[in-house]
Amino acid sequence: MKKTRKRLFAYDNVGILFVLPAFVYMLVFVGYPIVRNIVLSFQDVTVRTLTKPDKPFAGLQNYIDIFQDPVFIRSLLNTLIFTVCCLVFQFIIGFLLALFFNQNFKTSKVVRGLLLIPWMIPITVTALIFKFIFGTDVGILNYALQSLGLIKENIDWLTSTNTAMFALICANVWIGIPFNMILISTGLTTIPTELYESAALDGAGKVQTFFKITLPLLRPTIESVLILGFIYTFKVYDLVYVMTSGGPVNSTHMLSTYSYKLSFELFKYSKGAAVANVLLVILLIVGVFYLRATKEENE
Amino acid sequence: MKKKRILALAMTAALTAGMLAGCGGDSGNGENKESGGGDKEVTIWYYWETEGHQVALDKVITDYNSSQDEYEVTAKYVPFADFKKQLSIGASADELPDIAILDSPDHASYAVMDIFADITDKFDVSNYYEGAVDSCTIDGTLYGVPFGVNCLGLYYNEDMLKEAGCDVPTTWDELKETAQKLTKDNVTGLAFCSLANEEGTFNFMPWVWSTGTDSYTIDSEGGIKALTLAKDLVDSGAMSKECINWTQGDVMNQFISGNVAMMINGPWQIPTMQQEAPDLNWNVALIPKDAEYASCLGGENYAVIKDGNEEGALDFLEYATSQEQVEYLMDAFGYISADKTIAESQFAEDPVMQTFTEELNYAKARGPLAEWPEVSNAISLAFNKVMTGEAQPADAAAEAQATIDGIVGQ
Repeated sequence: MKKTRKRLFAYDNVGILFVLPAFVYMLVFVGYPIVRNIVLSFQDVTVRTLTKPDKPFAGLQNYIDIFQDPVFIRSLLNTLIFTVCCLVFQFIIGFLLALFFNQNFKTSKVVRGLLLIPWMIPITVTALIFKFIFGTDVGILNYALQSLGLIKENIDWLTSTNTAMFALICANVWIGIPFNMILISTGLTTIPTELYESAALDGAGKVQTFFKITLPLLRPTIESVLILGFIYTFKVYDLVYVMTSGGPVNSTHMLSTYSYKLSFELFKYSKGAAVANVLLVILLIVGVFYLRATKEENE
Repeated sequence: MKKKRILALAMTAALTAGMLAGCGGDSGNGENKESGGGDKEVTIWYYWETEGHQVALDKVITDYNSSQDEYEVTAKYVPFADFKKQLSIGASADELPDIAILDSPDHASYAVMDIFADITDKFDVSNYYEGAVDSCTIDGTLYGVPFGVNCLGLYYNEDMLKEAGCDVPTTWDELKETAQKLTKDNVTGLAFCSLANEEGTFNFMPWVWSTGTDSYTIDSEGGIKALTLAKDLVDSGAMSKECINWTQGDVMNQFISGNVAMMINGPWQIPTMQQEAPDLNWNVALIPKDAEYASCLGGENYAVIKDGNEEGALDFLEYATSQEQVEYLMDAFGYISADKTIAESQFAEDPVMQTFTEELNYAKARGPLAEWPEVSNAISLAFNKVMTGEAQPADAAAEAQATIDGIVGQ
């Protein structure tokens, strides 16, 4: 019975057909826009040439221009700083929480579930809430700090170029913690408890078991969490757009928001495309690392 | 084997999701081109989010549709944040409506994009305000019809002024002094939207123009003076630095909640203000002047899309710009008609709107220039720099000037 069915469907060969529609889909809806965007970045497309059939070829000029544009350089650095800061804090806090809830005390499951809420709330809503929290005169953070006597004057979190980035990072860390926590929690459950038991029998301490058992066995999970986290954080858009729109004075522009601004607010379509491509290349490099990491894991 | 099967399943799921998403996207656009034989349907894109505005436009459209049976007009709301993007994408993908109702300073950019029809001899605008007509004219060619105009004025809280013993300011010095006196406890004296975008520029230009400077020479005595005014207001605490994050709607909300004693804003806020704070005592005056009175001309223009249903679009515009329809629309919108004759008789018994109509005489248009968004970006950046203390007025002005020269000199 089993054998005949297998021959009828010849699964191994049919597999290609199954993949084909998805491949075509990817080609049309992912591949084509990327190619178009790359072509666009090598042309000089502005309001004057957008609807013309022949668009002037610009070579590398757009890329040369953006790398001489201080706002672009600032956006690039901002995106890197933002991503690294967010990853570090999200990961450490998420990891600690995961270890904490792994203790399986009475309410651990319920509370862990509740902690997922920040991840589920639409980002625009989170951004608006944090915009309120960080408000200068009406913000609850300044109110709390004043009540505690920590500050005398209200701090203008979102309207000062020095602190706006900090506010954005705080908001994003809050969103990202549950993501890190849940993935690491899942990773923790895959470590057999026998290992801990025998380690305890051999007289290993808590710290020792963590560094000798937990960390090494979690390595694949940690790699995935960090790389996925990097990709999610690096392409941040809505949070920044709602909280600061890249301001004050361009101090919180990310590659994504600056690309949008160039293309759709200033009508510099080609430069916007060039910025987007820089973003793409960086993410591609990270993506390759991710694929390599998961491949090693499978082997 | 199992892995492969799961992979195939996941890909099929992705495919289905993609197809659904694809369908959703398609049905949104392009309905005007395919259906209904092409000549009958006229589609309009607009971005007004206020419910009253949408209802009023819908009523005019419904009345038009039932008044004749040659054309069928439908309107589609596109959020303001997406509007420019949708028009740009539509232009490159050939998926445009037949009429776009767009923000007047953007008109020139799309006109040079060559997506608007030349209606020079097809529409009579001789009786319209000059600034409004300028905003849809490029090199003497008319590419649109003003929908309605508005401009900015100074709103003040009468009770607060009375309590502080202040008169309504008419000059910059008086403005600074009054704003300072009105600032106490949780109240700041003055607020105007200072976002680093077109909305902010709209609120900055009156100060620049009031000194007698034009839009393209910020690095001048007048330009620096205007920047210094903004800096002084913020530094003295008479204006909250948070204005750089406030939209005009936010500014209005601060005003009606009593957190701000005076604000620069437009007449379209009045219906909301009357509804939300019916007991608030406020009034409107001309924006205080330096050398001359000045305000910024705002409002929307109708544009007929080239190669669309041009006859149908023009027919609807003839209807929508008739006196009866214009009066109805302007009242519902809190706008002033761009048609001078209608505007002058429009607010016979409304002193507030009369002030705005008077202010309109001093209102100038931004641009018209295809690259205006870049000029605007440079100006709003300069204001934001001095207001956040990132740069001194002279340095900010010089930097903005360098950018503007790079654009206009081209």
